[in-house]
Amino acid sequence: MSASANVEVKVKEFSKEDPAKLAAFEKHVAEGGLVEPNDWMPEAYRALMLRMAEHHANSEIVGALPEGEWITKAPSLLRKLALTAKVQDEVGHGQMLYEVAQDLGKTRNAMLRDLITGVTKYHNCFNYPCPTWADVCMIAWLIDGAAILNQGTLAHGSFGPYIRTMRRINMEEAFHFKHGEDMVLTLMSGTENQKKMAQEAFDRWWGPALAFFGPVDPPDVMERPAMKWRMKTATNDELRQKYVNRFAPAAMATGLVVNVCEKDEKGFVTSATPDPLLKLDKETGNWGFTQPDWDEFFRVIRGDGPCNKERMALRRFSYEQGEWVRRAILNGATNAPCNN
Amino acid sequence: MLSKARTNIPEATGDLTTPEVDSFPIWEVFTQKNIGDVHLHAGSLSAPDASLAQHFAREHYGQDQECTNMWVGLRETFIADEGNQESYEVFVQWKAGDRHQHVGSVDACCGCEAKAKCKEQFVGDKSFYTIWTAPISRLTKIDGDKDMIWRETTDQGYRLPRGYSRVVRQKWDALRAEQAVDTYQEEDLKETF
Ligand SMILES: [Fe+2]
Ligand SMILES: [Fe+2]
Repeated sequence: MSASANVEVKVKEFSKEDPAKLAAFEKHVAEGGLVEPNDWMPEAYRALMLRMAEHHANSEIVGALPEGEWITKAPSLLRKLALTAKVQDEVGHGQMLYEVAQDLGKTRNAMLRDLITGVTKYHNCFNYPCPTWADVCMIAWLIDGAAILNQGTLAHGSFGPYIRTMRRINMEEAFHFKHGEDMVLTLMSGTENQKKMAQEAFDRWWGPALAFFGPVDPPDVMERPAMKWRMKTATNDELRQKYVNRFAPAAMATGLVVNVCEKDEKGFVTSATPDPLLKLDKETGNWGFTQPDWDEFFRVIRGDGPCNKERMALRRFSYEQGEWVRRAILNGATNAPCNN
Repeated sequence: MLSKARTNIPEATGDLTTPEVDSFPIWEVFTQKNIGDVHLHAGSLSAPDASLAQHFAREHYGQDQECTNMWVGLRETFIADEGNQESYEVFVQWKAGDRHQHVGSVDACCGCEAKAKCKEQFVGDKSFYTIWTAPISRLTKIDGDKDMIWRETTDQGYRLPRGYSRVVRQKWDALRAEQAVDTYQEEDLKETF
């Protein structure tokens, strides 16, 4: 899985840059030039790039939590192997992205602590429940599919270490996506019960997948740092439209129905009706669609989602349980009495 | 045991109860995909010492993406100007955004001289972005011929997107035939699968 469409930095917080240096930097980037960690860059660029890489890294390792829970319950050995490999990949993506962020000036421990104590965020879609095997299938298909689309454009960004990491990650995301697609097709060619399970999981994930690309673009999106400095090369709405064009017809072809859903506070669907806007505009080639519930999106980001507490409790638990390992490998063993 | 523990995790907020651990040093990893290929920078990792760095590198950069050879060294040694008289492996990053590429080795008295010799022997008038050098004695080299722990221990066919695509494509074809989706969808599916 992954990244990180909705991180913002207030440029005004940063002291004024040397106008000549800033102009040269902006020209270099606008002409397609790339930036390496030791090059001069505006402080706001460094801060935003750090925040993007950190948010992306957080998302990778939190994203592995709901899927990791299903390894022991996978329906076959092949699925178990593939899911184990996927989870290992995601944690590996996290490790590479933490390296990128670390080189921009924040220690790894500070990042792990900030994640656990709620100072920094991760991708919102991981605050939703994953109650059935079909949810595992939908995450791999819909969320990794969204991640590929997003990261494909991020790989054309301006920061060298981040785009090198994107290129490598995307090769692995391709496996996650194919694996997801294969699982969805398998379910949708199965029994009535399996199809029902897939539809219910699809209903739970379609909204979060649309919201994955981040909020609706503000009118001045192209002037804001992320686009102006080519950290991102496509806007949230462009990506979302591309995603619907690609996934809505594919979902329908398998027999899934694209619904507009209402959910309870646990993230379970209480009502589902076919999306009335889902029509192909023959002129533009774009599919219409109902926007995800943005009130819900912001509420969940603020911490009030179905699984926020559960995910962070598990992350904290793993971190604290791993303390003795970190001490041991640092030769930090002491003779002090041990209370756990 | 563990799985039970994970289903009933106490909720906690506020700061962590565990003390901060020092940051680990950063290591750079180079891999060679096939015999005869040049070694390319695969990425970096954090580890407390050379032994754990090479285990981590095998697992992370070797197992996930098969390779025939792997070199691991402390980041500091690649950029250092000082050093002793010995052989150095030298690496060039041709332009910003590229991965460092192994171009050869030189004998030199320090990192600074190794960089100068690299420029003279392997770069010439071509433009380049940065040069890294590493004394051979400071690199952990893992020879895929003798030490293959990351390869072929299990069939990893399920990892390859192409391992799914033929089968998946056939399924999509069958679906399309069955449901007679409109022309637009047929085109779209053809393009994307
Ligand atoms: Fe993924
Ligand atoms: Fe990922």
